[in-house]
Amino acid sequence: MTKQEQVKAIFIEEAGEIIEKLDVNILRFEENSSDFDLLNEIFRGVHTLKGNANAFGFTRLGEFVHHFEDVLDHYRSTKEEVEEHHLELFVGSVDVIKEVMVCELDALPDLPDDYPICLEKIKALIASKKPGAEPIAVQEAPMVLNDLAAEFALSGEEQMDNSIANTIKKLQASQSEGLNLYRVDLTLDEDCYKRGFDHLLFLKLLGEKAVSLESFFDMEPIQPLNEFNCDVNVFKHVCAIVLTPQTLEEVEENFEFLFDHEYKVTRIVQPLIEKAVEEVKPVVAEEKLPAVEKESAKSAPSSSSANAAAPKSTIRIDTFKLDELFDSVGELVIAQNFIAQNEKIRSIEDESISRAIETLSKITKRIQDRVMSLRMVAIRDTFDKMKRVVRDTSKKTGKELHLHVLGEETEIDKTMIDSLSDPLIHIIRNAIDHGLEADADERLATGKKVEGTITLRAYHKSGSIVISVSDDGRGINKEKVFRKAIERGIITGDENLTDSQIFGLIMQPGFSTADTISDLSGRGVGLDVVKTSIEKLRGKIEVDSKEGEGTTFSMVLPLTLAIIDGMLVQAAGEIYIIPTLSVVESFRPDREIVHALKEKGEFVSLRGQHIPVIRLSDVFDLPTVRIEPWEGILVCVETEAGRIAIMVDELVGRQQVVIKPLGKALAKLKEISGGAILGSGDIALILNVDELRPLIEAAHG
Amino acid sequence: MQFDGDVLTIGLDMSMEEIREFEQFVRPRLEYLETIEIEEGTLLRSSALLALLVSLKRTRNDVKIPFLDQGFITSGVYGTLHWMGHD
Repeated sequence: MTKQEQVKAIFIEEAGEIIEKLDVNILRFEENSSDFDLLNEIFRGVHTLKGNANAFGFTRLGEFVHHFEDVLDHYRSTKEEVEEHHLELFVGSVDVIKEVMVCELDALPDLPDDYPICLEKIKALIASKKPGAEPIAVQEAPMVLNDLAAEFALSGEEQMDNSIANTIKKLQASQSEGLNLYRVDLTLDEDCYKRGFDHLLFLKLLGEKAVSLESFFDMEPIQPLNEFNCDVNVFKHVCAIVLTPQTLEEVEENFEFLFDHEYKVTRIVQPLIEKAVEEVKPVVAEEKLPAVEKESAKSAPSSSSANAAAPKSTIRIDTFKLDELFDSVGELVIAQNFIAQNEKIRSIEDESISRAIETLSKITKRIQDRVMSLRMVAIRDTFDKMKRVVRDTSKKTGKELHLHVLGEETEIDKTMIDSLSDPLIHIIRNAIDHGLEADADERLATGKKVEGTITLRAYHKSGSIVISVSDDGRGINKEKVFRKAIERGIITGDENLTDSQIFGLIMQPGFSTADTISDLSGRGVGLDVVKTSIEKLRGKIEVDSKEGEGTTFSMVLPLTLAIIDGMLVQAAGEIYIIPTLSVVESFRPDREIVHALKEKGEFVSLRGQHIPVIRLSDVFDLPTVRIEPWEGILVCVETEAGRIAIMVDELVGRQQVVIKPLGKALAKLKEISGGAILGSGDIALILNVDELRPLIEAAHG
Repeated sequence: MQFDGDVLTIGLDMSMEEIREFEQFVRPRLEYLETIEIEEGTLLRSSALLALLVSLKRTRNDVKIPFLDQGFITSGVYGTLHWMGHD
């Protein structure tokens, strides 16, 4: 990747983050439009995006956000209340920004249809609010600064120096406590206009907080028209003297998108400290004028504002590098387990060796935990995105509702977060569109409040993470689902299904009980895709519902994709790993509850349910002495097609294992989802329990 | 922008695009111009316009641009802008 591409990749990532945050903040602002701190935050995001977009030549995005920024700027500076229909325009603008961003990144020639409409609305809004900004308190009649200079025919630069010195003197005289005086030197490159920057833009930014602001342009270098091009910046040096309550860091923030050589901010202090006068060059050498404190961020690394030297609380790391680190830690864990469990090493009766192994084990575990935590991020951002989904769906369906969010701080593997959005969006839309009652009357008739409630919750449960979406709507009609499933040929009707299994049928491909199809949900596609998506994350989805009270979709996910919690079992001398997430219970059955049906295979009767028994030795064609089920152990697991009992010889234990992908040859085995290296150095295969059932069905017809 | 006889009146609040258009407009017409006036109440948006006005003046020194001669402009947005070495 070239340097340019790297910078662009950073821009894309940052812009994505800004837009995501905008999306969330704009909704928060919609809820509380008197929160001007939030409006300021939104403004800063848009401002940053504008600078970035222009810097990368994304002019269409740059133009849009430029006008949007103007609107935001108006409201934040006037603190005028934002009218409701304008709030809608704000939300719509963020949508357009998202779409234009895609167009820019994919270099699409056509802009979204809403682009011109929204832009026109924004422009019209700006026009209707023609600038009435509070003027900066500049003196009524500015001093005529260059008369004397002209008299002595000084050059433009010399005139500037004199004028600047006089201005500093004047502003120092009016400086009161809490106000700081700065000199800002702008030496913008010739292409600054093309990059979307302008001296006036920075003066405007400085002026927002300034008590007094004076700037000086040297016109001398400007050439006649035959050598002039208005796209080229001819101002080699522009100087501004600003009196403001802002800190040096805050003043410098205005120039964050410029190159380092294009600006310099210097704080001007009263010449009280003689040392300062000696150390630094005065603004005007000939006069005993204000000394300049060496506080420039670029020249004084010890300054608190020195970006390079300031301690950073976060750094960006490519997730690929994290994955590599994680892999290496996985190897370390395996090596450590090997040492800890090696018979030869364990036979050495030496306390120091035992202690060293124990210490190694502790350190390895600590490293593993810390590396794991690097991949973990709070689910808050994903939940924040869902607020927008709820809002839009609520508006589309016309249903009043309240979103209740719990457990936003719950951390989850970053890799999973990225894959969770789509399933969550679908479930939420489904909950609003079909879960909640069709209208207020229907809710009132059942004694509920008009406003429906959608609860989004994340929490830890038995080493897994559960993300649930609940509604307080009409619930699922179990009988209707059952009938529909028979109609669609998904089940025969002879099955003995639990409530949970019946509700689970709604996630079968092609299933839909929706009487009408909307553009939100109800097409019979979607929930099965949701299910597949969650299963790809090695998770499962559970549905619980009470008719008249509501429905809850729970996505049960592993903490991470790289490690699973597994139950180690032995069959025919081989070790297999069953993901603990699927395990319901394990037991040695009594002889009386095991039945063998002709051409149907073996079953175990457990609490009124007939569960098929599957022998791992049969699945993998392992040579073994055939024993009866009551002589072995049955591990009952939940699969997508119902429960099965896996017959094993022995339960070995439970442990966290680092998942290793299998080679191409073994990848074809559907019954295996991966491999893991055990502490002994042996390799164990991880069972894909969902693929075990079809095998016995095939075997027994 | 208004062309009234020999007097061209322009607004200061030109975007870059408008400044480009203005430059294209004024180049072939400069010799017919006597005065360039500034529309009242307009706010300077780009330093490029300031540069263009000075460049026009450098090209034809006898064209009157009273705005440039005042040497400064004050606004509630930018404070006071001074320019020097323009004549």
